[in-house]
Amino acid sequence: MTARNTTHATFVIERDLAHPPAKVFAAYADPKKKAKWFGGPPEWKSQHTMDFRVGGKEVSQGGPPDGVVHKMSGEYWDIVENERIVLSYELHLDATRISVSLGTTEIKSHGAGSKLIYTEQGVYLDGYDDGGQREEGTRELLGQLESYLKT
Amino acid sequence: MTAIAHATIVMERSYNASPTRVFAAWADVEARKRWSAPAENIRIEYEAADFREGGKDVSRCIEPGNADYIATVHYLDIRKDQRLVFAEDVVHGNKRVSAALISVLLTPRGADTHLALTLQIASFDDAGMEAGYQFGWSSALDNLAKEFAQ
Repeated sequence: MTARNTTHATFVIERDLAHPPAKVFAAYADPKKKAKWFGGPPEWKSQHTMDFRVGGKEVSQGGPPDGVVHKMSGEYWDIVENERIVLSYELHLDATRISVSLGTTEIKSHGAGSKLIYTEQGVYLDGYDDGGQREEGTRELLGQLESYLKT
Repeated sequence: MTAIAHATIVMERSYNASPTRVFAAWADVEARKRWSAPAENIRIEYEAADFREGGKDVSRCIEPGNADYIATVHYLDIRKDQRLVFAEDVVHGNKRVSAALISVLLTPRGADTHLALTLQIASFDDAGMEAGYQFGWSSALDNLAKEFAQ
């Protein structure tokens, strides 16, 4: 029997953004907008499809040239316009499933802008990843969101 | 304004049965109906059951005097006799009250099986689902022992 293991971790990332909740929400809800910030570096040539409604799916796939294919497959569980998005997603490196996560994004009105709170409750499988690495990757992603919002 | 309460609950049990038998009690929907009802007056009915990666279950938790709790499960990772990971949401009286990620790890310990259940819960708008999950799963895991009593 192959040894299986799971590591559970929760992390929370908060960002104060100088944009109103509706603009932040649109960066998640509009596929064209989300594709501009969500995904790997440009040379990964990430493919992105999403169906932003409860029960809808999202897939983002890409990787370094001739390297490992990173595939995120998600599903939306709960959406409250301008306030909340709950998504579960799994991550594959080539054919290996390395994690399953529940990610909740909360957007609150905060002064003239908004506060974004992202909470990820993750199950990391068989030692391929852990909560610390994922948190770092997610911080980079939210950095890309902030850069996009400034454009 | 919406609110979300996040919680992680870990439950562990030891069963006097092989991982194969414990896994089978999860995989078999008839067995699951028996042991997952958390109390005598509560029953579970399935509207859909498809135990495979990518498969979906829809079940109804029926308690007299209370609106049904409808749970939709998506199976994400299944390793026979070893591991199970699924996502679930719960709707109570037309309102989605929670989303959760649930994982089950089975480890052989001599003639017994050690089961670790981890519930990662996002409970919406003061629905109190952390307490609901605590009660429901704690009772269900106790009931599961009865499946192996014979």
